Amino acid sequence: SLSLSPKKKGGSPTPEPSARGRTKEMSSAAQQLPRTESRTLSGHEGAVLAVRFNHDGKYCLSCGKDRTVRLWNPHTGAHVKTYKSHGREVRDVNASSDNAKLVSCGGDKQIFYWDVASGKVIRKFRGHNSEVNSVKFNEHNTVVLSAGYDRSVRAFDCRSQSSDPIQTIDTFQDSVMSVNVTNTEIIAGSVDGTVRTFDIRMGRETVDNLGHPVNCISLSNDRNCLLANCLDSTVRLLDKNSGEMLQEYKGHICKSFKMDCCLTNDDAFVIGGSEDGFVFFWELVDAPIVATFRAHSSVVLFPCHQRHLSPNKDLHVDVICRWDHSCLDLKIEIADVCYPY
Amino acid sequence: WLAVVVRDEEGRRRFHGAFTGGFSAGFYNTAGSKEGWTPQTFTSSRKSRAEHKKQSIYNFLDEEDIKDMGGNALETSQQYDTFGFTAAEHARKQASKEQNERPSAIPGPVPDELVVPATTSIGVKLLMKMGWHQGRTIKDAHADSLYESRREARKAFLALSGVSNDEDQDQIASQKSRVDENVAESFNKISASGNTPVYVLHPKEDLHGLGFDPFKHAPEFKDRKRSHKSVNRDRNRSDVSVRGSLLISNSGQYAPGFGIGALEELGVEDEDIYASGFNYEQTEVDIEPSKTSGDSKFKLEDKKRGFFLSFKIASNSEYKLERFHPPEIPADFDGRHKFSSPIQTADKFSDLAPPEVPPPEDTTLRLLIEGCAAMVARCGKHIEDFYKEKSKASPQFLFLDGGDGCSYYTRKLWEHQQKFIDRQRPGAVKSKPSSDKLTAENRGTILGEKPLDRSSKSSSSFVSAKEAVQLQSNLGDTFVKPISLDGVPESKKPFRNEPAKQARFEQFLKEKYQGGLRIASLAPTITMSDADRARERLDFEAAADAIEKGKEYKAIDPLSILGLPGLNEQRFVSSTQLESSAVLQDERPMYPQREEFEWRPSPILCKRFDIVDPFMGKPMPLRRPISKMDTLMFMTESTKKINEDVRGSSTIPQNAAVSGTEETEAQETANNPDIVASRMQRPVDLYKAIFSDDSDDDMDEPLNNQQVDPVKTSEGANMALNRLVAEDFLESLGKELGLEVPPEKPAQPPNVLFRSEILPTADASVSRNGQTSTFREIKENEGSLGLMEAANGNGDDPSSNVEKLDFKYEHSADIGRSHSLHRQIRNGSPESDTSIERHRSRKRRSHHRNRSPTPDSGSSDERRSSKKRKSHSRHRAGRSRTPDGDLSSDSQRNKRKRREKRSHQTRMSDSDSSDHEYKEKYTSSSRRSSDKDRSRKHSKHRSW
Repeated sequence: SLSLSPKKKGGSPTPEPSARGRTKEMSSAAQQLPRTESRTLSGHEGAVLAVRFNHDGKYCLSCGKDRTVRLWNPHTGAHVKTYKSHGREVRDVNASSDNAKLVSCGGDKQIFYWDVASGKVIRKFRGHNSEVNSVKFNEHNTVVLSAGYDRSVRAFDCRSQSSDPIQTIDTFQDSVMSVNVTNTEIIAGSVDGTVRTFDIRMGRETVDNLGHPVNCISLSNDRNCLLANCLDSTVRLLDKNSGEMLQEYKGHICKSFKMDCCLTNDDAFVIGGSEDGFVFFWELVDAPIVATFRAHSSVVLFPCHQRHLSPNKDLHVDVICRWDHSCLDLKIEIADVCYPY
Repeated sequence: WLAVVVRDEEGRRRFHGAFTGGFSAGFYNTAGSKEGWTPQTFTSSRKSRAEHKKQSIYNFLDEEDIKDMGGNALETSQQYDTFGFTAAEHARKQASKEQNERPSAIPGPVPDELVVPATTSIGVKLLMKMGWHQGRTIKDAHADSLYESRREARKAFLALSGVSNDEDQDQIASQKSRVDENVAESFNKISASGNTPVYVLHPKEDLHGLGFDPFKHAPEFKDRKRSHKSVNRDRNRSDVSVRGSLLISNSGQYAPGFGIGALEELGVEDEDIYASGFNYEQTEVDIEPSKTSGDSKFKLEDKKRGFFLSFKIASNSEYKLERFHPPEIPADFDGRHKFSSPIQTADKFSDLAPPEVPPPEDTTLRLLIEGCAAMVARCGKHIEDFYKEKSKASPQFLFLDGGDGCSYYTRKLWEHQQKFIDRQRPGAVKSKPSSDKLTAENRGTILGEKPLDRSSKSSSSFVSAKEAVQLQSNLGDTFVKPISLDGVPESKKPFRNEPAKQARFEQFLKEKYQGGLRIASLAPTITMSDADRARERLDFEAAADAIEKGKEYKAIDPLSILGLPGLNEQRFVSSTQLESSAVLQDERPMYPQREEFEWRPSPILCKRFDIVDPFMGKPMPLRRPISKMDTLMFMTESTKKINEDVRGSSTIPQNAAVSGTEETEAQETANNPDIVASRMQRPVDLYKAIFSDDSDDDMDEPLNNQQVDPVKTSEGANMALNRLVAEDFLESLGKELGLEVPPEKPAQPPNVLFRSEILPTADASVSRNGQTSTFREIKENEGSLGLMEAANGNGDDPSSNVEKLDFKYEHSADIGRSHSLHRQIRNGSPESDTSIERHRSRKRRSHHRNRSPTPDSGSSDERRSSKKRKSHSRHRAGRSRTPDGDLSSDSQRNKRKRREKRSHQTRMSDSDSSDHEYKEKYTSSSRRSSDKDRSRKHSKHRSW
């Protein structure tokens, strides 16, 4: 049947010739940032809450309030598969690095462990006492980490038959919004204003108190910096090792939504959404807004940026999903600029 | 057993199923055959409980048997015996029978009530409790209670009359004449509330069943019975005649002194047929029709006679509702209250303010007038009269009577009165509890008044002419800037609105910046609540700081320098606002803050992440209960040590060089998680840590300079504790109020305190407060004690219960074994047959050893050396104590000596055995008693 990685042809989107031409002309990287919508993925019947690329960037996963997880080929716009089993809204989804498994979580307090090809639920991990905000696979796809509203981060073992967590971290004071995993660390951001890094190798917990509720944590590609989107409309860049704040990025609006933020592949720019429908790009070092564009008519929840590694060219894709209160236009819109770098 | 094979007609053997008889069901397998009975099939009652059948005798009787029984099988039933009459009656009969048989002190029949056993049914009992009596309807009535009391009274009266029957006759008669008509009326009412008499033509007077006739086969006895009854009736009647009308309804059978109520029907059961003293006459009288009529006649007679002679209803009841006329409203009432005092007077005075008059030329007269006016204004008109009276002769006081300066006097008087009223008003306001924060000065400033000088208070009193002069000047002063209170500059008086507070603040400043003796607490402070005091202290701190700062900028307005705009206004600001502003001001620049804690990944997580477990599978330290006092608990060295082990082993993956001992220890602990667990749960009691001072130190020479004076230590600990508690409280309070806490330590979020995973929990939380030098010293001492104790688990702790102890004992033995080969051998050696005596001596020693505190600097090397030191000291102590009269045998003593020569490792087994003894001794000891016991021993030992 269907597996994410090799079979489905990665139908590399035919980039707009004009865009290509433009990128060739333009020397500045900032001007190469995506600004236009290249495609719309429609199909969700409710607000889209999260969009994630798979490991190699050929596919993307979206989930939302219609209680489904959907698999797309963003490059062709094809809707590949729908995963239905959740009883409540799906808040986050993540694909394993071998593209064989999915993990998703949401309002039904359980974490669903899917088989990508068959679309069946392999296991449901239980243990959270309330809604689960975020899930991630670890590097070896052996552990699923989840962050929940019950102020805990829980680790579930994919290899055992047990559905109970193998570890519960409950030092948080408030809802944990986002969790990230590196080789040796678990990083989680919480509404209590802290970013906590749990170093498994050292057995240390490092607490960085930012003083403002942390919505989203993302890591730089060199794994040395943390990007934290705080609810005071500020994105903060932290040095992971020292805990120093390196930079603050402002200009957008983020006061009440859980919104993602991320860095571009080359760590040159910070991308963030805004509640007024704009997507913001900041230059990493000096934090000026280098580019903004209006992507949606309402809140941009989820700027998602992923490297596309096709054999002969590098693609740069931004996917922005949105929360539309009117529920009239529920689409994932892809702003796609392809340029070689 | 005969092996008879029963076959049916066709020669087959009947088989009844394996579990219901097989081939031999019933008598010779007759079950189911024509001869045999059919067994009841078993039905489980589990599913059909309701259908469970009751067996009755008929199930087992055939027709013949039933015929033998006579066809009518009767069963007794208690069902309809609602009031238990049957049983009661039976008992009564029984009793009377017995009574007849035995000779009695009381001649005649014993009253039934006396002998009737309490066999009333529960229904009756309940009813009785509710005030019911037999023969009454069950119906509420006020009349009932009335009736009740009447009846009681009647009974008492009857009793009286019964006793003094004869001589009272005439008296009774006289009473009878005073029968009130009211009584009869009420009696009628009452009788309505009693049981309605139902007259049956042929009343059933026996206790036989309905339709049952005992004389069915013997009619002659029936007649006899009837005649006997009639005799009774007659006798009743004769009784009536004998006793007069009073006891007319009573049966003559009753002993004098006991009667039943007038309205209680005479039951058959009340009659005593066996009563002696009367001969039965056999007269044939048909009583039946006359009986009823007679009864009713009696009733009528009763009513007519109205025989409650001495108890009559009051003609006018006391309970009569008293009614009052509504108050008469005066014609001139207009529904509005008029206030009489100050306001009115003030108005009055202001209304008729006398015209300003130039003072008389004579100064003495002027002074006199003023003083007099002041006095009069203060004390009232009568003073004026008094003056008038007194000074009729003296010409000076002529102004009172309209002489010289009279108008001036009236004017002055008015002024003084006005002033007096003004002064009174704020006082009245002040006396209200709600505004006690407002002092007069406060109010004055609010109203824009200039404060008067203190001395002006005496101004209104009439003292002397000179002071009166001063008074005048003071009055003028009202509109002049007041003299600065003290030499203190304005900037130092942030609380000048509240003198009391200012005084306290000055005291505070003195305490802060100057040395010297002073009283422990100011009196006014005591009246404040803790919270107030704390808040005020914070205020003071801030103000003092500001003043310090403000010294450079004298010129600027003090309050603005102070940077505490809300010092006094603060109360009127919502606390949330304050807090948020404080947070914004203080804490923002501090972000991001970084803290590090220990965190334990689960082994399986490490495995899944392909990472070596940093803690080598050791379990988490037990989570401590979250409470503030808890941070004051000392951690034992045992926990600390484990953490160190942990740390040591955690460095294994990174640092290749690990000492062998550490590794073995780590492995050991890894192998025995139980030990670790048992080690964990031993925070040393605060009480113990402080009060079990080590006064047997005097036995040991001080080991080195680092030796801490035990007394000092405990004192210091006490102090530190108190301060800790106080400061903790203050700090938390300050935080709550959103004020800046006097910065003695870096601020930390509260959760730091309660992290279970943190390695040096107690340490961190304690040192947080920055006051802990002595505290920590103690802890370290404790630690050095704990070192030994750590090795033998919970060894020396008698507080744990015995089972635990036992358990731990084993474990500690375990540790001991693996700790060194040496010990392992020793543990296995047959020294376990130690006598109690030796135990005790050993224990003493171990106690002693444990009691001697050795300061420990923390590093393992030093600790080791300290161990050695300690063991030395132990030896010394042991030797010094040898002549203390051990009764042990020589061999044992030798053994002990040998043991003493051994290295410090031997102490393991030592304290083990002491453990052992503890176990023996305190099999059922509570923590407290054992503690006490221990201290007692301790003291004993000290006295040696």
